[in-house]
Amino acid sequence: MITERSFEAGQRFLLSAKNWWTSELYPRLRAEYEARVGTNPARHTVADVAAIVEDLTLYRYFAWLERHLQRMKYSGTYGLTRYYDLKRETALQDLNAGDGSDEILELNPDLKLPHYYTRIDIHQHPGGVWSDDVAGLVYEHGARSTTPLLGASHADLHTRFTEWVAAGGSPVKVLDLGCGFGKSTQPFYSRFPQASVEGVDLSAPCLRLAAHTARNSGAMNIRFRQRDAAHTGYSDASFDLVTSTMLLHETPPAVVERVFSEARRVLEAGGRMIHLDFHYLPDPFARFMHYGHARRNNEPYMQPVAELDLRKLLLREGFGDVQIEPFREADDMGPERRDIWRFPWTVISARKPRGRSGHAKPAARAPKRR
Amino acid sequence: MKRASKRGAGGEQLFFDDPAVDGLMGVVMALATEHYVLRDRLRLLEEQLARSGHIHGAEFPSPQEDAEAFTAELLRPLLGIQESVSAGGQFSLKSKSNRRRSKR
Repeated sequence: MITERSFEAGQRFLLSAKNWWTSELYPRLRAEYEARVGTNPARHTVADVAAIVEDLTLYRYFAWLERHLQRMKYSGTYGLTRYYDLKRETALQDLNAGDGSDEILELNPDLKLPHYYTRIDIHQHPGGVWSDDVAGLVYEHGARSTTPLLGASHADLHTRFTEWVAAGGSPVKVLDLGCGFGKSTQPFYSRFPQASVEGVDLSAPCLRLAAHTARNSGAMNIRFRQRDAAHTGYSDASFDLVTSTMLLHETPPAVVERVFSEARRVLEAGGRMIHLDFHYLPDPFARFMHYGHARRNNEPYMQPVAELDLRKLLLREGFGDVQIEPFREADDMGPERRDIWRFPWTVISARKPRGRSGHAKPAARAPKRR
Repeated sequence: MKRASKRGAGGEQLFFDDPAVDGLMGVVMALATEHYVLRDRLRLLEEQLARSGHIHGAEFPSPQEDAEAFTAELLRPLLGIQESVSAGGQFSLKSKSNRRRSKR
C-alpha cells in the first residue's frame, strides 16, 4: 500500500521529468535538427525531417521519455490507475450517488460504443477513459499535467477558449461534443448562465464526474448525456453553438466528417460551430513531432486528422465563414514558441449559412457514411 | 547496426537499435522514481526532527524546486554536454585500418 504522500512524490518527479523534456530536451533536439538541415527547411517534408532526426541519439531519448513518462504516469507503483484502484470505494462514493438519471445526468447503458473508441487505450490510459468506474477520476487527474508548462493555469486554456467564443456573441443554446469529464463544458455553463448547455460524451465514468462537478457548483443550466457526437439524437436546429475541445483528433477522419454533418444538422441557420483542437503545424519539424507524439501517446487518429483539409471539408459540408487559426493557450504561449514542446492549438470555426428564407442552405452533397 | 523491430517481445514500442537500452532506460527511471520518493520521505523525517529541535540548520527548498533540481541533475547526461574543455566525440587508439576492419 502506498501512502498519499508517496504517490504525490512519485507523480511530482514524473511531472518534473516531463517539464525537463519539454523545456530542455526539446529545444536542443530542434537546434540539432536545424544545425543539420541546410538552408531551406521550409521545403522539407515530414520524411525529410525523419531522415535527419530519427537516427539522432537525442531523439531516441526524447521519444523514449515521451512514451515512458506517460506510461509511468498511468501505470506502475505510483501510477494513477493503481492509485485510484486502491481508493476506489471512497472515490466513487459521491460520484455514483443516484441511478445516473437526474436533472443533470442522463446515462444510456445500452449505448453501443464505437470500435474506433474501444480498440485502443488512448493516452496510454489502461482500459481507456470508459471501461472502469474510476476512469473519469484517473483521466481528470492525468489531464492536469497534459500540458506540463501550463501547470496550475491549465484551466485557463478552457476559459480562454470560451472567451474567444464569447467575443463573437453570447450563445443561448450550447452543445459541447465529446465533453469528457466536463472540463471544457464548465466555462460555458458558468460564463453564459442564461444559456442552456448540453454536454455529450461516450464515457459514463467521465460523465458521472462531469455531473458531480456541476452539481457541486450549483449550476442549473447544464445537462450531461451519454451520446455519440456523430449521432446525438437532438432535433434539427436545436442549438446556436456547437463546440468541442480536443475531440476531433480522437476520432478517425470519417467520424470527423460525420461530426461536422451532425453539427450542421442540429445547428440553427446562422449558428456557429467552433472546435478547439490540434491542427496548425507551421513547419515540417512541428508536424514530425506531432505525428510522433500521436504514435507514442496511443492516438492513432491524430495524424490522419492533422492531414485533413478541414477548410475544404467544412465548405463541402455546407458551412460558411470558415476560420482556422492558431490559438494561444496562455499569454506567453503560442505558435511562435519554438523553445518548448507544445500542442499545436487551433480554433476551427464555421457558421451554418442562412438561406434567403432564413433556412439553411442544403449541403453541397450528402455526407459520407462509411 | 541493424534496426531492431519496432515492438519488443512484450509488444512495447522500441526506440533504440538495441532493445536492451530501452529496457535499461526503464530500469533507471524506475529506480530514480523510487529514489525520489525515498528522498521525499527522508525530507518529511528531517522536517519533523527540525521542528522538535533534534536537528539544527536544516533548509528545505519547496518540494517543486527540489524535484526540478533532482530531475535536471539526473537527466542532464542525456544531453551529452561536455563540462570541461577538451577533445570531444568518441576516443580510440586503433589505427584507421584496424578501425575499418572492426566495423565490418
